[in-house]
Amino acid sequence: MKKILVADDEMSIRLLYSEELKEEGYEVYQAANGREALEIVEKIPLDLIILDIKMPEMDGIEALRQIKEKRPDLPVVLSTAYGEYKQDFATWASDEYLVKSSDLEDLKAVVKRYLKE
Amino acid sequence: MASERAAFLTQMVEVLTSTVSFGERLNNMVHLLARNLKVDLSLYFGLDKARETLLLNVSSQGPIPPHLRLEFPLGQGLVGETARTRKPTVVHRQQPGVSAANVALEKLHPAYQTLAAFPVADDNFLYGVLILVDRTERSLSAAERQGVQLTCLMLAAALRQAIVQEEAKKRIAELSVLFEVGKALSSTVELDELLERIVSTTAKVITARGAALHIINTATGETRVSSRYGQIPPESPALPQITPSGAATEPPYYEGESTDATGHTHYCLAVPLTFKGQLTGTLGVYDKFNPNGEYLPFDPENRQLLFTMAGVIVNAIENALTYQQVEDLAERNERMVRNLTALQEISQIMLTSVQEARLQEIVLQGLTLEHGLGFDRAVILMVDEATQTLRGAQGACRMPLTSDLPNLKALQSPPPGMIPVADWEVPLRADQGPLALAVLRKSPYHHHQTVKEPGLPPALAGKYAAQEFFVAPLVVKDRATGVILVDNQASGRPLEPERLHALQMFATQAALVLENAHLYSTIETNNRELLLIRERMLESDRLAALSSLASGMAHEIRNPLVSIGGFARRIAKLVEPNSPLRGYVEVIQEEVTRLEKLLREILDFTGENLSYYGDHELAKLIEDTLILVQRDLDGYKIKVLREFAQLPRLHCDDRQMKQVFYNLFQNAIQAMSHGGTLSIRTFPVEKSDGLYAATSISDTGSGIPMEVLHNIFNPFFSTKDYGTGLGLAIAQRIVSRHYGQIEVNNEIGKGVTFIVTLPVAKYCLVKDVGQGAVPASVLKTPRGGRQ
Repeated sequence: MKKILVADDEMSIRLLYSEELKEEGYEVYQAANGREALEIVEKIPLDLIILDIKMPEMDGIEALRQIKEKRPDLPVVLSTAYGEYKQDFATWASDEYLVKSSDLEDLKAVVKRYLKE
Repeated sequence: MASERAAFLTQMVEVLTSTVSFGERLNNMVHLLARNLKVDLSLYFGLDKARETLLLNVSSQGPIPPHLRLEFPLGQGLVGETARTRKPTVVHRQQPGVSAANVALEKLHPAYQTLAAFPVADDNFLYGVLILVDRTERSLSAAERQGVQLTCLMLAAALRQAIVQEEAKKRIAELSVLFEVGKALSSTVELDELLERIVSTTAKVITARGAALHIINTATGETRVSSRYGQIPPESPALPQITPSGAATEPPYYEGESTDATGHTHYCLAVPLTFKGQLTGTLGVYDKFNPNGEYLPFDPENRQLLFTMAGVIVNAIENALTYQQVEDLAERNERMVRNLTALQEISQIMLTSVQEARLQEIVLQGLTLEHGLGFDRAVILMVDEATQTLRGAQGACRMPLTSDLPNLKALQSPPPGMIPVADWEVPLRADQGPLALAVLRKSPYHHHQTVKEPGLPPALAGKYAAQEFFVAPLVVKDRATGVILVDNQASGRPLEPERLHALQMFATQAALVLENAHLYSTIETNNRELLLIRERMLESDRLAALSSLASGMAHEIRNPLVSIGGFARRIAKLVEPNSPLRGYVEVIQEEVTRLEKLLREILDFTGENLSYYGDHELAKLIEDTLILVQRDLDGYKIKVLREFAQLPRLHCDDRQMKQVFYNLFQNAIQAMSHGGTLSIRTFPVEKSDGLYAATSISDTGSGIPMEVLHNIFNPFFSTKDYGTGLGLAIAQRIVSRHYGQIEVNNEIGKGVTFIVTLPVAKYCLVKDVGQGAVPASVLKTPRGGRQ
C-alpha cells in the first residue's frame, strides 16, 4: 500500500484529504507543519507528500527544500490557498503545484499519476 | 707833431667806431696805419679759436690770395713770438735770426728791412698781432709807437665787442630756433602730429633737406614710432646707428657722408634721443644746403643745436606718449563702461523670463543688437550630456539698425533674424575644433586666419563659415553647459581682444541665467514626474494593502471553503440518490464552487497574481530609483556613495524592486534630515543554494531605537507622523516574493544598514526563458529542480 503524507496546518483539510485518499486505497499520514512532515519523512518510507505552503514553525517551501535534500526521488505536491506562489521559482522544486479546491478530483488524479505502478 | 698824432688818432677812432661791418673796419684801419706811418705794408694776424696759430686776416695790399694765407704757430717767427710775449717789437732784417725766422713774410715783401710787431690784446685776451713792414731800415718814434699801441688797444676792444656780438647773435639764433621748436612741440599733444612737427622744424632750423625720427622699444627691438620729413637720400642710412664715442665728455652722435650715382655728396647727422624706460631713438638730419642749393657738411654748431633740440624733443614725446596711453586707457574704460551697461541692461531683461528658449532668444539679441554687444552673428550651442555632443540651440543675425531704437528695451519684443542651427551637432572631443575645445577647456577662443589652430569642425561644413570668430564657453559652477559663437563676417568689423573679454563676461551671465532656466524646467518636469510617481506609489501602496488583505482573506476563507466543499462532496457520495439531503448537499457544493470562483476573481482583480518579471540590471534599478529621490537628497544635502559590483541580471519585477529601493531610500533620507551620506553597495553573496546579489543601503542617521526595532517590518507600524507604516512591510513582502531577504543592521547613533539579498543563479537555470544572458560560470544546478 502506497504511503502518502498530508502536511497542512488546517485540521479539516488534513481530515478531508486523508478520508479521500484512504478511500482511494492509500496509507495516509498527517503532519501539522513542515517540521512534523520532515520527522515523518525520516521515519516512514513515503511514496508521496501533499504539502501546504503557509504553515507555522516551518513553512512548506523550507520543508520542500529539506525533503528534496533527503529524498530527491520523493514526489512532492504543493497544495496551497495561494495561487500566486505557482510563479515563484522556489516552489518549482515541487513536482506539482495545485491551488486548493473543494473539488479533489484534480488532486486525486495527480496522486494517481505519480503512484501508478 | 702833437696835432699830427691827434689827427691820426682821430682818424683811427673814426674808423673803428664807424657803422660798417667789423671786417671792413679792420680793413680800413690796417690801410690807414700803413698810410699814416708811411710803411710799405700793414698786416693783421688773428689768433685762431684753438689759440695755437696766427693767421693772416687782413693786408693793406688788399684781398689775400689763397697762396698767401700765411700762418705762424704761437711762438714762431716775429708774429708768433709777439703773440707769446705780448710786447711790441721792432726788428731789422740784418739782425741775427730775423731773416730766417720770418722767411714766410718775404712772400709778401721780398725786400723788407724793418718789421714792427704789436700785440692786439686787452687785459685778458690776445686777439692777434699787427705787423708793419718797410723796405727801409727805420725805427718808430715814440709818438708813432704810442699811436700804434693805442690803435691796437682800440682794435682789441672792437674785436672783443665783435666777438661778443657774434656770440650774442648765435645765442639769439639758437634761442629763436628753440623757441621755434618749443612752439612746434607745445602746439599739439597728438603724437603723430607732434612727430611730424619735430622733424619738419628740425629740418628747417638746420636748413637740411630732410629729417627723420625713430623711436625703438629696446625690449622688443620694434620701432615704436617713426616720422620723416623732406628728402632723405637713399644713399644715407634711414636709421643711423649711433655708437657711443670713445670720449666720455662727448655725447655719442652719428656723422656720415655718401656719394650718389651723379657724384653728389650727401651728408647725414644724427643724435640719440634718450628716454626713460625702455625707449630709445634717433633724430637725424640729411643734407644741409646753402642758398645756392649746394649740399654742405654739418658743422659742430649744427650738432650742438641738434643735441639741444633732442633734449627738448624727448620731453615732448614722452608727454605725448603718456597722453596717448592715458587716452587709450580712457577709451578702453569708456568701452568697458559701455559693455558693462549693456550687460547690466541685458541681464535685467534676462531676469524677466525663466523659459529656456525665450532666454536664448534674449541672449542672442543682446549679442547681436547694436546697442548690445553688436556682433553680426551669434549662435548658442548647448552640451547634451547624454550623447556628449554640442547641439545647436538658437542662432541669430544682427537686425538692421533702426534709428528709433532708444535702448535695449527693444529686446523684449521682436524676434531677431534667426539662423537655423537645430541640426548642428559637434561631438565633444578635442579633435573637433574650437567649439568642443572651448567646452573641454572651459576657456574662450579667438579664431583668426593667422592662428594655426583648426577652424570650425567638419560637422558645420556648409552650414556656417567665418574667417574670424569668437567662442565663449557657458560655464556654471566649473561646468561648461554650452558655448556662444559670434562673428562679424558680414560687416567685416574687426574682433578686438577687448570684445572677447566683454563676450566672456556676458557669457558668464548668460550661462547662469540659462542654467537657472534649465534647472527650472528640469525641476518642473521632475515635479510632474514625482507627482505621478507619488500617485502611482500611493495607489500601489493602497493596492498592496488591499491585496495583502485579500490574500490573507483568501488563505483564511479558501481553507474552510475547501473543507466545507470537500466534505459536502463526501456527504453527497454517501447520500442516497433519492434522498432530499442530496439537494441540500448539492446546494452547498455549488455555493462553495461559486465562492471559490469569486475568490479567484478578487485575487485577479487585486493584481496579486499579476507580475511583470523580466531581466534587469540591479545597478540600473538602483539608479532609476535614486532619480526619484534626488530632490530630497539635494534638499537634505545628502551625499550618495555608490559601489556597484559586476553582477548578472536579476529576474524580477522591476516595478516592485524599485518600490523596495524607493522605500528603503525614503527611510534613509528621513533618518538624515540634517544631511549625511547614503552609501549604496552591491556585491555577490555565495550561499549554499546558489549565488545571490546583495544590495546594502546605509544611512548615517541616528539608528533605530531598540524598542521599535522588532516592529519595523510589521504592517501599519510607523514612527512617523505621516506615512502608512507599510513601507518596510511592503519591501519585505516584495523581497520575499522574489525569494530574497531583507536584513537590518542597526547601530544606535551611527545609522542603519538594510541589506537586500536576491537570488540570481538558480532561477535563471530553472526558468529557461531565454532572456537575459547570464554567464555560465555563475549558474548552479538547483536542488530538486523540476526535470
